[in-house]
Amino acid sequence: MDTLGLLNYAIFMGVLIGIYALLSLGLNVQWGYAGLFNAGVAGFFAVGAYLSALFTAPPVPDRIMGWELPTGVGWFAAMAAAALIAWPIGKVTLRFRSDYLAIATIGVAEIIRLVLRTEDLLSGGVRGITGIPRPFGDLPYEWSQLAYLGLTWGMVVVIYWALERQLAAPWGRMMRAIRENELAAAAMGKNVEARRLEAFILGAAIMGLAGAVYVHFMRAITPEAIDPMMVTFLVWIMLILGGSGNNRGAILGAVIIWVIWSSSELLTDRLPAEIATQAKYIRVFVIGLMLQLVLRWRPEGLLPEGTHVRRSS
Amino acid sequence: MTYRSQLVASLAAAGLIATSSAAFAEAKVALMGGITGPIAGMAPAMIASMKLALDQANAAGLAIGKITYQEFDCGCNPQVATDAATKAVNVFGADAAVGPACSGALLAAVNSVTIPAGVLVVSPSATSPKITDLDDKDLVFRTVPSDDFQGRALARTLLERGVKKVAVAYINNDYGKGLAEAFKAEFEAKGGTITQFRGHEDKKASYRSDLAELAKGGADTLVLFDYGNASGMTILRQAIENGFFKQFVGADGMRDENLIKTLGEANLKHFFVSAPVGEAGAAFEKFAEAARKAGLDPNATFAATSYDAAALVALALEAAKGDKAKLPQALRAVATAPGERIYPGEWEKAKQLLAEGKEIDYKGASGDHEFDAKGDVPGSYAFFKVEGGTYKEVQKMK
Repeated sequence: MDTLGLLNYAIFMGVLIGIYALLSLGLNVQWGYAGLFNAGVAGFFAVGAYLSALFTAPPVPDRIMGWELPTGVGWFAAMAAAALIAWPIGKVTLRFRSDYLAIATIGVAEIIRLVLRTEDLLSGGVRGITGIPRPFGDLPYEWSQLAYLGLTWGMVVVIYWALERQLAAPWGRMMRAIRENELAAAAMGKNVEARRLEAFILGAAIMGLAGAVYVHFMRAITPEAIDPMMVTFLVWIMLILGGSGNNRGAILGAVIIWVIWSSSELLTDRLPAEIATQAKYIRVFVIGLMLQLVLRWRPEGLLPEGTHVRRSS
Repeated sequence: MTYRSQLVASLAAAGLIATSSAAFAEAKVALMGGITGPIAGMAPAMIASMKLALDQANAAGLAIGKITYQEFDCGCNPQVATDAATKAVNVFGADAAVGPACSGALLAAVNSVTIPAGVLVVSPSATSPKITDLDDKDLVFRTVPSDDFQGRALARTLLERGVKKVAVAYINNDYGKGLAEAFKAEFEAKGGTITQFRGHEDKKASYRSDLAELAKGGADTLVLFDYGNASGMTILRQAIENGFFKQFVGADGMRDENLIKTLGEANLKHFFVSAPVGEAGAAFEKFAEAARKAGLDPNATFAATSYDAAALVALALEAAKGDKAKLPQALRAVATAPGERIYPGEWEKAKQLLAEGKEIDYKGASGDHEFDAKGDVPGSYAFFKVEGGTYKEVQKMK
């Protein structure tokens, strides 16, 4: 267990945390700002991941696209596509409230997953897409990882900064007003439907970006990657633990949950060999337990939303 | 005092070796099983078989010293598998890995972690044909044949038996689909007709509508790529009950003893399966004996391939003598002809031959493992029918 190895591991964790932080930020726009219970995070993640893959991967027979475009184009297209998909979905489902919306979005995410599983022409079906380029992928292993870490966190910082600006702007105040009391906001002449749709689309676009960042890091995508357990529910836990409504909380939640999820395996490996296999399940249990504890003792999360008194500038 | 001076001397020697080349300070192998996730049921037997091979190697006292191993969970999921692979390579410091167990997990883990890091990977159970065409710098191998081989072999066997017209149903995952597509390509190329070609999702209560569609083309034979303990059994039962087809053919997933118990042998007179068989039956027997002694079921799914994968990694480590960069080359050398034949459990003999600088050729419990240029094994298959409550070989498949 040398220092360089640990450093490599930390870099890898950093990249995945960055990807989950993006997802968590996207969900925070929807749930934290606008109070939309989106249980279909995996769907938008998938759209972004697959679209960016299709734009940048080499062409193969029996599948559309494969245009070998630059990664940046793929990322932009991923955001646009996720937003575009979110628009009709939002149009239809945002008329539902809270738990009904959750059920509708779960359904939509499952539809997206099944389409990607079965439509070979579109997605390579169950075998997925391989040969996706990674920016700085030609560098030696360590440097490539490090460069990608920089890229990922660059994205996180840009998105974080943009969201903070947005939240401080009148739009952000309006969103909170709608979330807290929809009738009052409507009575003051705010277009509630349109604002909610905006938040839904913005969040979805960020999730799409997360998918794109993910797919170029892994260089391959198969339908297993959009497992709701690993995408939707883990992200929800991150946001709730970190503190919904607070962007820093969203990022903190991603850091804490992923570090626990990943490094707890190192701890269980210290157990005697006879129970090491069974012990792999402990981390699944620990994450579930943490959610219970947080919801019981600190429902507002580690970094609560706080009052948004802003200096006028 | 003498003991201590010996210790100092050997430590110094070890230090010399360590500094003289890119030596293994200690040979380390990561065992990446699908411990949680969809194949959790198979994982314990697979991991235990890998451990059995490495424990035998350690007991024989290889020249490279004790091989340390550690389990990692690839969860049959790309995120979990890359995380596990990163830990295996960087924190544990693995020289080689056995696994990951599932194709999707393997594709992500090798592309983003093990190939860039230059770590050898031998999977006992990832069967996707996509793995064949990876740009893997000769670092990805598998002891289980690609689905491509079995599908093609089955197509040739059916044509040889005079079956020219079939309907094909497959479970919609990489296993079912891989087999079905390979089968289709070979069957049609050799002059057979496929009347219907349909995928289905698993865990449905009724497949009667699927069967009605499949029967439309007028084929007498249904080729069913599915699992005999899951939707495959449901489809077979409903097809027999409703008289949809006269003859049924499955692949290794359908070879399930429970299927015979549940449906009854009398109903399965026209049911055949193809399944991989060890070319050298003696090799499997040697593994089976050791496995039973260790309290393992040698016939558990992927137990034999897992044992072979771990055994080959251990032999490659021994043959590479401390140079990680030479591992793929060493793996090919110990697995393929020419060389003295080594059967499962013959560690002492292998150790001695390698020490003398002679070539060895490992004949595994699950096949001969003559790797091709892509790191795949061709595998050998036989065609089985149901008889006496079990599956009986009808013929070898070419």
